[in-house]
Formats: sequence, C-alpha cells, structure tokens
Amino acid sequence: MEEMPIKMEHLLHELSVLSLAGGHGEAAGFSLTNYTFWLIAAVILVLAFFIAGSRNVKLVPSGIGNLAEAGVDFVRNSVCIDVIGPEGKKYFPFLGTIFFFILINNLLGNIPPALPGTGTVGTTFTWAIIVFLVYNGIGIKKLGFFKYIKSLVPSGTPWWLAWLLFLIELISHMLRPFTLGIRLFANMYAGHVMLGVFAAFAAIFIEHLSPASIAVVPLSVIMQIALRVFELMVAVLQAYIFTILTAVYIGGALEAGSH
Amino acid sequence: MDNLGNALVFGLGAIGPAFGLAIVGSKTIESMARQPEMAGRLQTTMFIALGMIEAIALLGFVLAFAI
Repeated sequence: MEEMPIKMEHLLHELSVLSLAGGHGEAAGFSLTNYTFWLIAAVILVLAFFIAGSRNVKLVPSGIGNLAEAGVDFVRNSVCIDVIGPEGKKYFPFLGTIFFFILINNLLGNIPPALPGTGTVGTTFTWAIIVFLVYNGIGIKKLGFFKYIKSLVPSGTPWWLAWLLFLIELISHMLRPFTLGIRLFANMYAGHVMLGVFAAFAAIFIEHLSPASIAVVPLSVIMQIALRVFELMVAVLQAYIFTILTAVYIGGALEAGSH
Repeated sequence: MDNLGNALVFGLGAIGPAFGLAIVGSKTIESMARQPEMAGRLQTTMFIALGMIEAIALLGFVLAFAI
C-alpha cells in the first residue's frame, strides 16, 4: 500500500497539462499541450461528422446523416424550443455548437490514450465566459443597458429592499460562469482520476500478491468497467446540462423586462 | 495523514448536495408517477436543478485539490 502515493503522483502528472512542442515553465500553457492536441482532434471530428452528415441531404436520411439529424433535432427541439420558447430557434447555432463541441470532446476523452479537451480549466472557463457575455449581450440588446440592469430587480420593490436584491442578483450572475466552468471541468477531471485510482489499486495488488488480492483485483476491474460506463453517461449528461443551462440563462435574459 | 484534510473537505462538502440530489430525484419520480404526461418537462427541470446542486459538490472537489 505504500506505493499508492507514488502511483497517485504519477496519475496526476499524466492528467496535468504537459507541453508537447516548445514552451517551458510559464509558457507551457500557451504552447501545443496534450490537452490542446486532443481538443483540436475533437474539433476536426465534429467538422468531419457534420460535413459527412450534411453532404447527402435526403428526405429520409440514412447512416451518418440520420445520426447528425437526430442530434440536431434533439438540440433544437428539447433544448432551444422547450426551454427558451418559439424564438429559441434563433439561438440554435450557438447552443448546437456548444453541445456538439462539448459532447465530442467528452466522448473522445473516454478512449484511453486520449484526454478530454474539456478536462482543463482553460477550455471550460473560456466557454463559460463566452456564455456569460452572450446571454448578457442578448439581454442588453433587447432592453438597452440601463433597463437591463434595472430589470435585475423586480419592479415595484421598495428602495431599501431593491439595493439588497440587486446585490444578491449581481452575485448570482457573477457566479454563473464560475459554476458552469467548474462543473464541466471537475466532472471530466474527477472521472478520470477515479478510473486511475481503481487501475492503481489493481496494479498494486497484482504486483504484491496476497490473500487480499483475490477480492481486491476483481472488484477493481469490475469498478473500472462500471465507472467507464458511468463516464460515458456523464459525458453526454454534462454536454446536455451545459447547453440547457445556457438556454435557461438566455431565456432569462429575454424575459428580463416582462416581469 | 497529510491528505486526510483534503479528503475530509470533499467528503463533508458532499453531504449537503447528496441530500439535495436525493430530494430532487425522489420528488421528480413522485411527480412523474402522478402526472406521466408532464414527464418530459419535469425531466428537463430536474436536470437543471441537478446541475446546480452538482456544482456545490464539485466546488468541494476543487477545494480539496486546492488546499
């Protein structure tokens, strides 16, 4: 068991951002890293998937076109229209991009040598900040800057309560990009750490065979498989949650003036 | 022994969100059983609540690494 800290150190090193080409020390994060490599791979995959899916558009699609259409239909109907309302169709390009980018990144991270591009704070917080700017932009575009700021507090609130409500609303808005970014990053990162921990368990108990190995090794392997299936579910769920929360925020910004 | 504090941060921080998830899950199932025709919309709302609760637990996870 004394090898566990060494194995964990190794695991966390594998999952940290490592520069592949150029860049040392401080600059490493700005060069081509192991995460950005798989991020680019995922972007190419998304592009290839939709180019292949939309090349041969038919009334009754088949094969890859069918899959692409089902995915697009899902985001448009059960995210855009169900959450934002009929005018949600306008925001499909933005929400669809987020959904498929995150989904393919998450799923790609489940194939062993690959890392999820969404497993670093850089990617997730960039998206979270983009979402923050977009939904506030939509609100400001609709109401104008001062009216939008005023709409954070329901009209008719007495002045002594209004400033307190305003402060609370301001904090909750500021927390939104933070929680969006943290949620996606931590889900992807924690999942891979969990898988690694059980792999390390199995490795240690195989290296040092003891009576306990009979119980621990099969259990670790079973957990490994179960967690992998769970990770696949989490990958889809997190892409869905990120998109649906973005839709909720956009819907909130659109409704801002009406209550 | 040095890492015990980190583990405790996450372990204790996960208790609250665990109760929250339990409430959200059980209430959604209850509502779905009462009104099956609302299942789709209930599920969407459930996922939104689930995502928000989850963030609290994951803040603990990040803190456990940061400390």
